[in-house]
Formats: sequence, structure tokens, C-alpha cells
Amino acid sequence: MGILVILLLILVALLGAPLFAVIAASAMYGFWQEEIDLSVIGIELYRLAEMPVLVAIPLFTFAGYVLGESRAPQRLVRLTNAWLGWMPGGLAIVALTACAFFTALTGASGVTIVALGALLYPALKQANYPLRFNLGLITTSGSLGLLFAPSLPLILYGVVVQQLNIGPPVSIDDLFLAGILPGMLMLVMLSLYSAWVARDIPGEVRPFDRSEALAATREAVWEMPLPLVILGGIYSGYFAVSEAAAVTALYVLIVHVLILREIPFRKLPSVMRESMLLVGGILAILGVSLASTNYMIDQEVPTRVFDTIKQYVDSPWTFLILLNLFLLVLGTMLDIFAALVIVIPIILPIALNYGVHPVHLGIVFLANMQIGYFTPPVGMNLFIASYRFNQPVMTLYRATLPFFFILFGAVLLITYWPALSLVWLDTTP
Amino acid sequence: MRDRLLALLRYAHICEDLLLAGMLIGMILLAAAQILLRNLLDWNFAWGDPVVRVLVLWVGMIGAMAASRQDENGKTRHISVDVLSPLLRGWHLHLSRLLTSLFAAGICGLLCWHCARFVAEEMQFGATGVAGIPVWVFQSVLPAAFAIMTLRFALNGALHGVALFQPTAASPD
Repeated sequence: MGILVILLLILVALLGAPLFAVIAASAMYGFWQEEIDLSVIGIELYRLAEMPVLVAIPLFTFAGYVLGESRAPQRLVRLTNAWLGWMPGGLAIVALTACAFFTALTGASGVTIVALGALLYPALKQANYPLRFNLGLITTSGSLGLLFAPSLPLILYGVVVQQLNIGPPVSIDDLFLAGILPGMLMLVMLSLYSAWVARDIPGEVRPFDRSEALAATREAVWEMPLPLVILGGIYSGYFAVSEAAAVTALYVLIVHVLILREIPFRKLPSVMRESMLLVGGILAILGVSLASTNYMIDQEVPTRVFDTIKQYVDSPWTFLILLNLFLLVLGTMLDIFAALVIVIPIILPIALNYGVHPVHLGIVFLANMQIGYFTPPVGMNLFIASYRFNQPVMTLYRATLPFFFILFGAVLLITYWPALSLVWLDTTP
Repeated sequence: MRDRLLALLRYAHICEDLLLAGMLIGMILLAAAQILLRNLLDWNFAWGDPVVRVLVLWVGMIGAMAASRQDENGKTRHISVDVLSPLLRGWHLHLSRLLTSLFAAGICGLLCWHCARFVAEEMQFGATGVAGIPVWVFQSVLPAAFAIMTLRFALNGALHGVALFQPTAASPD
């Protein structure tokens, strides 16, 4: 592709043009150069209607938005607080756990900070946690849980890899399994840090209250079946991912609109629209990237990139270090969904050449991107938190710094310890 | 004239919202019914799963169409990089938005045209999909959505173009 065209496309992208248009432009330019009839774009886009697993994307997104609009966040916080609040740093651990759980369900779209942050921020403040720790914790927690099923980025990674159809087959169920331990590692490391910070806070430790735990459980009784249906259903193989999504969407719709009546009927269309705007954004870039990916593979772009890298890098470990650095920088600029559809088609073939398992690559990729949500200059959660808690972005940059280093440590562990991701899979790296 | 245009736009937005809501509810009910039937009766509608998949395409395209609406800050809901625009103010911002909107309008126009050709070919070919409905009917959402997106991005661009030459109609900040 002409260097000038690439530079122009990068420029319009940096100015804020919709990425789907930028990707579509590069694909069409490529096809045009190769004298391929551009109506293939239609064929590629129509493939969106031929992938059964994609059904999970609108349905889980919608379920997440309904939960965000309902009183489920309050119940979740009360529940985790009743069960985990007695630990040292209990409230912070409550915040981390509740956020991770909620983000897995809602897909790190900023809903967590808005819905749960609004509850946890004042609570942590009242419990005398330092302001900066408090802000950093909430901002970081907005993307924690990305590695847990059924997070959208995990699903989208599976879709992209399946479309590429190279290397060992990757099922979305595999990815869901692979994310558990790395996700837990992040949760535990942040919890330990929180307990350490909370060690001097007077009155932080309080005894476990059995009756409150039971009351909180009773209150959350309608949400209890959700993890069971989603995780139990998928991990046991009883439900396909798309089926679990359908059951979840119908269930939250019935419970929160018809039974608990926490979302009035007249508000429903706007909740649906908001969730489908996100879905439209994701599917638009996925659709056009199917076309651009085909072009890139046709042109053997990954092979050529690999040949270049191979001259300098011969061990998979060096490759992974470079990958981590690259992804960190990428994550500060590119939205996770865009990064998935643009970068994975190039990286995956190269990673396979270095002997990296595609499932491991996915976990490493998403773990890096998770940090990207709150790294300056453009980490989305920094701006959401800045807006939500009325704090300057600079304060948030500083507040998230310790969390950044802890999670970066976790990412390094996840990267260089493939077994952590692959231990429950049949496939050996 | 301006009021009538705005009323028309509002009406179009409501139609779009209802269309999205209707298709989403249809998708949820149909997908759930398929699972229930399969488990209870060991049988379900042969057309059910393909229709759900087509609904995903339609919801995605119409969602993308709705995401092209511009908010009061001149931003759409599409996924974008947005590294430079927070640094821009006043006419720089309008100029940058004018360029990116026109670029998006141009690309959507091309996508619309080529998808329309694809659908026309499919029409001539005359393949039928589920329930005897011709496949081109399912595909027709592609050119239709891109046509609306072209108009929307062109309109967004025009608004920034106007703002560029009317310093009094100042920028949002």
C-alpha cells in the first residue's frame, strides 16, 4: 500500500475519524490496487450474519446494560461487603471483587465505574481510605474482570481467531477457562496491596455478621442464578456461549423489568438503544476488519512482518517482551475492540511462529489491554472517573500509578508463565 | 424549515430506537424459545437460528447507523482513537471534525455503492434463504444503513463547516 495513503489514514484516524471507516478505506484501497471487484466488501460484511457466536455480543451487552440500570449494583456491593468485609482491607477487597464480577458481565464499557463506582467511592471515603488510593482503586477496577467469562473482549478474541483459521483450534470455552487463574492473580495481587494500605486505618476491621450476610444473600436472590447459568452452563458444556447469552438476556429482562420493576417500560427502549449503539460500534469495526484481514493475509503481511522481526528476535521470550511493550503502548491509544480486530490478525501468525499458544496470546493481549484502560494519555476509564468523581485527570494519572505497577507485574507473570493460562486446557503449549 | 427538519430528525431517531428495541426483543425471545424447544421437545424451528443470526447483522448495522448521530460536542458513538481532538479548540476542532466527517461520509458512500452492487448481483442470482425469503432481502440492510450513515456524516460535516465560517456560533467550549 502506498506510504502516502497509510500516512493519510493514520492522520484521519488520529484526528478522530470513526475507525470502521479507516479500516474500510484501507481494505477498499487494497482491493482496488489488486483490481479486485469492491463488491467483495458486501460479501465480507454479510459474514456477520453467518457466525453463530456473534449472537452473544448484543445479548450479553444488553444484559449488562439492564443490570447497570437496575439496583443490582447496590445488591452486589451489599452482598460482597457482608461476605468479604471482615477481612483486612475488606472494603477495598469488596470493591475489587464486585467490580471484577460486574465487569465480566458488562464488558468493561465504563458501566462499572459509573454504576459501582458511585456506590463504592463514597463508602471507601467514609471508611477513611486515602483519597488517592480510593480514586486509583475505582478507576483500576473499571477494567478488572476482563479475563473472566463472559466478557465481550474474550468472546471477540475467539471470533477473530476462529476467522483466521490458523494454528490450533481455539474455542471460546477454552478462553473462558484460560482467563480464570490470570484474572484471579490480578484480583489477589490488588487485594494484598489493599490490605497493606488499609493496615493503618482505624476501625477498618470489623467482625463477620452472619445475619447481615444472610439478609444480603436473600436480597440478591434474583441475581444469584446468573453466575450459575452463565459460568455453570458454559463451563459444564450444557450451554453454548450464544445460548447462555440468550438465557441471560431473557432472565435479566424478566427479573428487572417485570418482577422487580426496577426499570420502567418507557425507559426500556433507551436502555436498548444505548446498548445497541455499543454493539453497532463493535460490529461495524469487526465487519470491515473481516475484509481488511483477508486482504492482509492475501498480501502475506504477517509473514513479511515475521521475517523482519526474526532477523532481530529469535527467542519466544524476547518476542513476548517486545509484544508486552507494544501492547502497552497500543492500549493507551486504541480501544480494546478496535485493537482486537486490527492487531490480532497480524500478531497471531507471528506468535504461532514463535510457538506461543493462541489461547495464551489472547490472555496476554487482553491483560495488557486491561491496563491500557487507565494508562495516560487516553485510557478511557481515566476520563470516565474524572468526569464521574469530578477530579482532574492529572490526579487520576497519579492515583492509578501504584495500581499500574501491580497489574504490570501481574501481566509479566501471566506472560512468562503460560501454564497459568493453559493449565486447565487439553492443549499443551 | 429548520424546525421542520429538526422535527423530522427527531422522528427518525424515535423510529430508529423503536426498530432497534423491536429487533432486540425479537432476537432475545426467538433465541430463548429455540433453546427451550430444543430441550423440551428435542425440536425447534429450522428457520430460527438463521433468523437470529440475520437479526445480529441488522441490529449491528442499524446500531452503527444510530451510533453515527452526533452529540452536542460533535462526537459520534463510533469507536475512534481521539488522541488529537481533545487538544483542539475552536475553529481547529471544527476543521478537524469537518475533515473526519467528510472522510467518513465518503467512505460510507463507497461502502453503500459497492454493497448495493453486491445486493443487486444477489437479486439477479435469485438465491433464497430461510423460509423462502430471497437472500438479498436480508442483505439489503447493508446499503441502506450505509446510505443513512453517509447522509449523517455529511450532515455532521456540514454543521462543522457552517460553524467554521460563523465564529459567533461558537464551539461547545
